[in-house]
Amino acid sequence: MKVVFDHVNKSFGVINALKDINFTVEPGEFIFLVGSSGAGKSTILKLILNQIRPSSGEVVLDDHHLSKLEKNKIDKIRRQIGVIFQDYQLIPDKTVEENIALALDINNFTPSLISEKIEKVINQVNLNSRRHLFPSQLSGGELQRTALARALAIEPKIILADEPTGNLDAENSLNLLKLLKDINELLNTTIIMSTHNLDIIKSLDKRVISLNNGEIISDSQNIKPASEPKKHHTHLSKK
Amino acid sequence: MTPLKSAWHHIRRSPFQSLIAVTVMTISFFSLSFFVIISHGMSSVLNFFETKPEVTIFLKDGLDRSTVEGLQKELSNYPKIREIKFISKDKALEIYKEQNKNNPLLTEMVTASILPASFEVSVSDPKILEQIAQNFSIKTSQVDEIIYQKDIINSLLIWTDFIRKTGIIIVSVTTAITILIITVIIGMKITNRKEEISISRLLGASNYYVKRPFLIEGIIYGLTGSFVGLLITFILSAFFAGRINLFFSPVVFISSDYRFYAILLLSSLSLGSLIGFTASWIGVKRNIKF
Repeated sequence: MKVVFDHVNKSFGVINALKDINFTVEPGEFIFLVGSSGAGKSTILKLILNQIRPSSGEVVLDDHHLSKLEKNKIDKIRRQIGVIFQDYQLIPDKTVEENIALALDINNFTPSLISEKIEKVINQVNLNSRRHLFPSQLSGGELQRTALARALAIEPKIILADEPTGNLDAENSLNLLKLLKDINELLNTTIIMSTHNLDIIKSLDKRVISLNNGEIISDSQNIKPASEPKKHHTHLSKK
Repeated sequence: MTPLKSAWHHIRRSPFQSLIAVTVMTISFFSLSFFVIISHGMSSVLNFFETKPEVTIFLKDGLDRSTVEGLQKELSNYPKIREIKFISKDKALEIYKEQNKNNPLLTEMVTASILPASFEVSVSDPKILEQIAQNFSIKTSQVDEIIYQKDIINSLLIWTDFIRKTGIIIVSVTTAITILIITVIIGMKITNRKEEISISRLLGASNYYVKRPFLIEGIIYGLTGSFVGLLITFILSAFFAGRINLFFSPVVFISSDYRFYAILLLSSLSLGSLIGFTASWIGVKRNIKF
């Protein structure tokens, strides 16, 4: 899925959360959004998910201008997006299995296919022994893996991951990252991941968009010559 | 998860709210079916009186055969006459003895000569009775007395009308309360599930997908409540039918016609699901806005 931000501004009252944001993410690309708290990373993800609308400018997903979309079309677009929320956004009175099933049911998968997909993703994220537990019975890492499984199950065109390693230890963070990388490479799924974990960013050679106070201060795609693939890491180290 | 399963999940997660919804629906349908059965019974009583020989014309003694035949002919000229029965003095005595066979003292002292001959006239349209009663009451040389059950019918009509109107008012009020309570309960359930709704929306759930389980939940309340309400009425009817029917004998006040109960059951279930759906639709409309 292609994502285009075209002169996007977003204000919440007097606070300008995003200022003239311009970037394009090509289908199958893996990018990191980095920046401190309040830099605008989550706002960008919310705009892609159409949770909020830009104050001005355009967000375009695969030729769909989000601000011009009708409500029922928004649902259809969202069904193509896998989201891993920072706070997991799991339904408390549904088990791991049921939470994953919900996403599949919303996407109109048949009951037999739902069982098949659940089986597959639960094994993928190694949650087989936890499948009948409720979110309150899971650890932070297990919750994050459940959220990941839910996002993966629908085989989305794009995965939005908002600080997915925020509550994970180093080992689990790297495992999660490896899984996202594999999905990106094997299924050509576009991945936009927000993080402030520099170790994570350094572990992969991917495009990095840095934000500060709602502005893009660097985009490794723009500053990185094709012959010097690791230059953006230096840039990040300085930050 | 199918919508039905989701609805059942909602019901199980807040059983007391669900119990209240079913209870008010049960009360509503108990009162509805109760008044339908009472109203049906009153209609049977009314029908009994309306189709009985409503006018009895007692003749004066000493009328000759041709005069009696003339009166009978005049009666038969009225429209919508079902039956004209001439009760001679001897026949009247026979009826009298039959009615008082358990009291010999009364029968011993009575002879055919003191009992008047009479015509018993039944009609298919009660309005004709009034005409006959008016026209024959002026024939004072031939007619001794006219017994006309207009008062009984009028009284029955007033009671039937009163019961029907009372029933309509009570059922309307209970239905309105039921709709209000279910609307509030669905609203509370939506509020309790705001987080789930919001997550579902972010996952791409359509407006219809989110609303559907709540609408089905309302229909389940409607179906369950109407069925239980009707079941209570049926059990009470079966229990008291013997005593009530004996009181109204020979009229069958509590019907034993299974078709009547089948129609009542089907209508109640349909109405119940409609009320449940309407109430939850209002609740959903008020509380889920995108």
